[in-house]
Amino acid sequence: MGLFSSPPAALGASAIRNIEAAKNLRDGVSRRGFLQASAVGAAFAASMHQLDILQSPVFAEELKKQQKHVILIWLAGGASQLETWDPKPGRATGGPFAAIQTSTPGVSISELMPKMAQRMQHTAIIRSLNTKNADHGGAAKILETGRAVDQGIPCPDLGAMIAHELGRADSQVPDYVSMYSSTEGRRQGGSGFLGGRYAPMFLTEQMIPENTSRLETLSDLDHSARGDLRAFLANKFRSGRPDLSVDSHNSAYQRVRGIMSSASLFDIEQESLAMRAKYGPTQFGEQCLVARRLVEAGVPFVKIARAWWDSHGQNFETHLELVTELDHVLATLIDDLADRGLLEHTLIATFGEFGRTPQINSSLGRDHFASAWSASLHGAGILGGSVHGKTDADGQKVIEGEVRASDLFATIFQAIGIDYRKEYHVGARPVPITDFGGQPIRGILA
Amino acid sequence: MSQTLRFMIAAVYGLLLFSGKVGYAAEMPAVDLPIPTAIDRLLADSHERMRIVPARRADDRTLLRRTTLDLAGRIPTPQEIVVYEQDSASERQSRLVDRLLAATDYAWHLRNELDAMLLSGGNSPQEWKEYLLQTSRANQPWDETFKDLITPNQEDQSKRGASHFLKSRVNDLDDLTNDTSSLLFGVSINCAKCHDHPLVEDWKQDHYYGLQAFFARTYQTKSQRLAEKPPAELTFKTTAGVEKPSRLMFLTGATVEEPADPRTDDQKKADLEEVRLQREKDDQAPPVEPAFNPRAELVRLALQPENRTFMARSIINRTWARLMGRGLVHPVDQMHSGNPSNHPELIDWLERDFIGHGFDVKRLIRGIVLSDAYARSSQWLYAEPQPSPDDFAVALVRPLTPNQLASSLLVGTSSPDRFQKAFDSGGWDELREQLEKQAAGTAKLFEYPGENFQVSVTEALLFNNAQRIENDYLRISQDRLAGYMQESLRPHDSGEQAGDGEIDAMIKTAFDVVFARHAQEDELQAFRHYFQDRGDRSPAAVQQMLWAMITSPEFRFNY
Amino acid sequence: MLNFNQLKSLKEVGTPEINFAITKLPDRDAVVVGNSAGQLVEFDLSVDKPQPRSFQTAHTSYVTGVVSSQGGLVSGSYDRKLIWWDPLERTVLREIAAHDKWIRQIVSNPDGSLIASVGDDMHCKVWDAVTGELRFVLDDHAAITPQHYPSMLFTVAFSPDGRLLATGDKVGHVAIWDFVEGRKIGAVESPGMYTWDPRARRHSIGGVRSVAFSRDGQTLAVGGIGAIGNVDHLDGPARVELFDWRNSLSIAELTDTAMKGLVEQLWFSPGDTHLVTAGGDNNGFITIYDLATRKVAKQEKAHQHLHGLAVDEASGKFYSAHHGRVVTWNIRDEQPQST
Repeated sequence: MGLFSSPPAALGASAIRNIEAAKNLRDGVSRRGFLQASAVGAAFAASMHQLDILQSPVFAEELKKQQKHVILIWLAGGASQLETWDPKPGRATGGPFAAIQTSTPGVSISELMPKMAQRMQHTAIIRSLNTKNADHGGAAKILETGRAVDQGIPCPDLGAMIAHELGRADSQVPDYVSMYSSTEGRRQGGSGFLGGRYAPMFLTEQMIPENTSRLETLSDLDHSARGDLRAFLANKFRSGRPDLSVDSHNSAYQRVRGIMSSASLFDIEQESLAMRAKYGPTQFGEQCLVARRLVEAGVPFVKIARAWWDSHGQNFETHLELVTELDHVLATLIDDLADRGLLEHTLIATFGEFGRTPQINSSLGRDHFASAWSASLHGAGILGGSVHGKTDADGQKVIEGEVRASDLFATIFQAIGIDYRKEYHVGARPVPITDFGGQPIRGILA
Repeated sequence: MSQTLRFMIAAVYGLLLFSGKVGYAAEMPAVDLPIPTAIDRLLADSHERMRIVPARRADDRTLLRRTTLDLAGRIPTPQEIVVYEQDSASERQSRLVDRLLAATDYAWHLRNELDAMLLSGGNSPQEWKEYLLQTSRANQPWDETFKDLITPNQEDQSKRGASHFLKSRVNDLDDLTNDTSSLLFGVSINCAKCHDHPLVEDWKQDHYYGLQAFFARTYQTKSQRLAEKPPAELTFKTTAGVEKPSRLMFLTGATVEEPADPRTDDQKKADLEEVRLQREKDDQAPPVEPAFNPRAELVRLALQPENRTFMARSIINRTWARLMGRGLVHPVDQMHSGNPSNHPELIDWLERDFIGHGFDVKRLIRGIVLSDAYARSSQWLYAEPQPSPDDFAVALVRPLTPNQLASSLLVGTSSPDRFQKAFDSGGWDELREQLEKQAAGTAKLFEYPGENFQVSVTEALLFNNAQRIENDYLRISQDRLAGYMQESLRPHDSGEQAGDGEIDAMIKTAFDVVFARHAQEDELQAFRHYFQDRGDRSPAAVQQMLWAMITSPEFRFNY
Repeated sequence: MLNFNQLKSLKEVGTPEINFAITKLPDRDAVVVGNSAGQLVEFDLSVDKPQPRSFQTAHTSYVTGVVSSQGGLVSGSYDRKLIWWDPLERTVLREIAAHDKWIRQIVSNPDGSLIASVGDDMHCKVWDAVTGELRFVLDDHAAITPQHYPSMLFTVAFSPDGRLLATGDKVGHVAIWDFVEGRKIGAVESPGMYTWDPRARRHSIGGVRSVAFSRDGQTLAVGGIGAIGNVDHLDGPARVELFDWRNSLSIAELTDTAMKGLVEQLWFSPGDTHLVTAGGDNNGFITIYDLATRKVAKQEKAHQHLHGLAVDEASGKFYSAHHGRVVTWNIRDEQPQST
């Protein structure tokens, strides 16, 4: 579609040049975009028009194979390792739930997870996290960024780093979607020194992202044409001003119409009733279904926060409710991804800011506990049925294979093929993608 | 990372940073030179040495927009453009600067900038913003502000707001230490928490824990007062695992000896009980000021002639970076021997001048914006490769801050008549305050630009599709520019087409108001065609044209 | 003569376990408690320093109900089993896999001939206390909450005449049964016991934790906790709702924020003059209401959370089971002689 319907003859030569340049800018073949595209080859150049490509099943399959994804299920408030991945039945600290055998001989998990017990072949359990900080804010910062010590600069969270590593320059879909409908522990997280390009599309109140549909007062034609007019001005401004922030402004505007057309990814009404029934009627289930739709369309990182795990009172009732849901939804998500051939390219991780005390308090609650807790990884790059680390009989401390946040992050990076030794540079200062000393846990990687 | 590797990295970075800078010592200009002269003389020396011909001076309209954004926190109004152009060309900039420094806008904008710098802005407490506004209005000397931030007088209504600098960080001793060090002394020493700083020889763990010791007793009572816990032995663990006592130590290594603790065990117990009560109950009498207050000692040390270079250079560098787009030391929180200034003599000269003139921030700002360096064009249209940002040979393009953007959107989409009355007969102060309040809500939607700032797609989506953009800025109404533009073509409502001349006049007005510059020929053409193609929906066409302008980078950036 | 103004703790015995259920042994100043170690433990409270005497190990999870009956002592547990015990030998007489999910509470009827049990399988089952035969299964509680999470059936009580049963669940639904006829004869709703925030939280807390018929059988008291702001804690008012259950009519709400938490136990005094409520958050409480004025007549802080309460009118004593403690309380005019 042209910028103007009037004949080009009516335009001055320079205006035509500028408008053509503006169109190029809008179409994502700016000089920078073009150079990047040619550097990585035709397959990825094509991916800049990914939505079109998704129309073609062959290309879509090809893309699926190349693209890795991460779905982080963030258990805000801190889920109990004793009622999930590291049960201690029969101990005073063990609580009332039993442990059950899983599909991997010798590995037991809480009876609250019967469905996951049948999917150990897609699961790696880490039982030996010691992240030291048991304060919500400080601990969340550590487990969001993988960095135990404040770096004095705003550091990117896991989603931003993965968006940066796996996102494509002119992607039509968001790189990083974060669903956080609960108020407990809600922190936007963010891209820190990596910049706003990798900041999450943050969904709190609504399931469909804000501002992704055109105002009714504006026709689609005018919406697009005024964008061309903007690009015409932008292109003039860029002359003699090679500035990355200015470029980011333009690329953000270039991505708008792509993102708008991908808004339907958030609409679960587009799924069959049978598929929706599989995930179940809860909001967390629906969000995981959205996550699958996003991953399928090429979004590298999706975070879903399920909150209210902070069970200072009524720990067992809380976990009966929340783990039952987690078990069902996680199992469904794994099956669904596997059915679509996406599981081998998608890593699912579940953890929060910490675990919960073995000690049961007088409200039958468990309190904050960061010195011996668990996380789980599923799908891409992990060794199914593996368990890393060990806590003592009462779950009070790690006695084997202690894991820090940096090790957990290195493991996630390694599982999806990102070099965990990579360094970013902030000015003169090198900031490693994995915090100093972080090593992947080889034993649970495929 | 092994120690050896760390050492090697330090060595390599050292070399990189020093290359091309060492071996030359410029002559320090005289003490009584005007600031702009000193800046330009030292930069000219440096450019000559490096064979750089700096960019030409920006045109007047660009400079007007740039200076107004920097001193008033918004783009200029049409009336200000007229006044500016009435001045003789040689005096335009200095008269503009003096007008803006005297205007009510100056304090609003400086307040917002200090708020963003010291408390990350956004949702900071009203009391804090009031404090910053007052100090900005009064041009309070920076050493006094520094003192207020570290040892706020909570009894003084007008100073109490300063306590939020500490209060917002009081639950995290590392934040207190790092942020004080980085924001007020220009050095980020947090790397030294767990090991001696890998890149900087200056900072050892002793420094980190030494600085931390000044804040280690600070706590907040249930009634929201800052207070000091009784003395207690503090220790830290070295990398070698040795437990060492932390002493009260400033960044220079200067220490303070604490007087011996004369309290009996019973008194100590009672003091601890007092702290517990203060923390748990909000009906306690204000806690007693301790005879020995470590934070007061920090202020005393930091302001001593041999130590005050840290707080002075930090605010100078941050002010420079804010106005020039890059620090004289970059990054602004890495002002240490391993990361020397790009213009060491200049920052030395500015430091001497700043301290010699009573830590006068306004004077410093005035000096910078009157320099030729500030006035350079941001466009590099020459055959030679573009110089490094460290050379200040071409103006850097700077993203608007959230408040600058939100206020400018209001000004730039207002009918040119809107400000006429305030301009003619006074009342600007009220209008400016109203503008500030109106802008505050929108400002929260934008990200404060840090280093390597990138505009998010969320912002682009907001401008594209949010109803509030349509309502707030593109409304066809009497007080908005869109209404004014539409009105200018009203004689043709009856169906007769507006002529090219009338359309061009309308477009020129829009460029004047939104961009504070004249529309160029190709722009006139493009916009005229855009408008004429939408003859059946000219109000919509006006809105779309305006939209394209306020979403263009020319509007989004200070250039 | 009972006098609640004299409410006062007489003896406290510390235990390493969490004690959930308690019953007094007939004719002795001794109790049997069920605890978090899956044990039944007897304490002879007539001696200076009561020592725990454990029963044979048989349960494998928390013991949440212990009652005396014509068939001996009966216990119920999260391990889904009911166990009949020889109280003298402290050995198992009979074991029944009674429910498919946790057993939350068991009670016996006034003459000790029947046992009623409720569990998270949402069944109420009535058993012959002597033969262990299952007599009735009463079903009226939805297994899934309206928000699609597992519900819980926390509590059951017989009426004083032994003809009726009431059962209360997580979402505040209470059913009243003529169990002999095997039919439901009434229901009341106390949704105020169930906290669910549909927007920001999506996690439930609360539930009906206790029910009791008045002595005259006309009033049904329902106990639990009122609305909770932060659902991470039991930070809500202790709440009791009184119903004219025959007309499904709520007649009063008794809420207390001085001592907060779950009302785990309810007991009507002779003549229905007072209602004893007991429970807690991380602290425990006994709060006694004067039913004429519906005001608090007497309130005592109790050690940590109070889970179980047994009343012995004859000796004028309460026996309570707590998180880490067993306590006896005086509730009569003169201090009983310590023996």
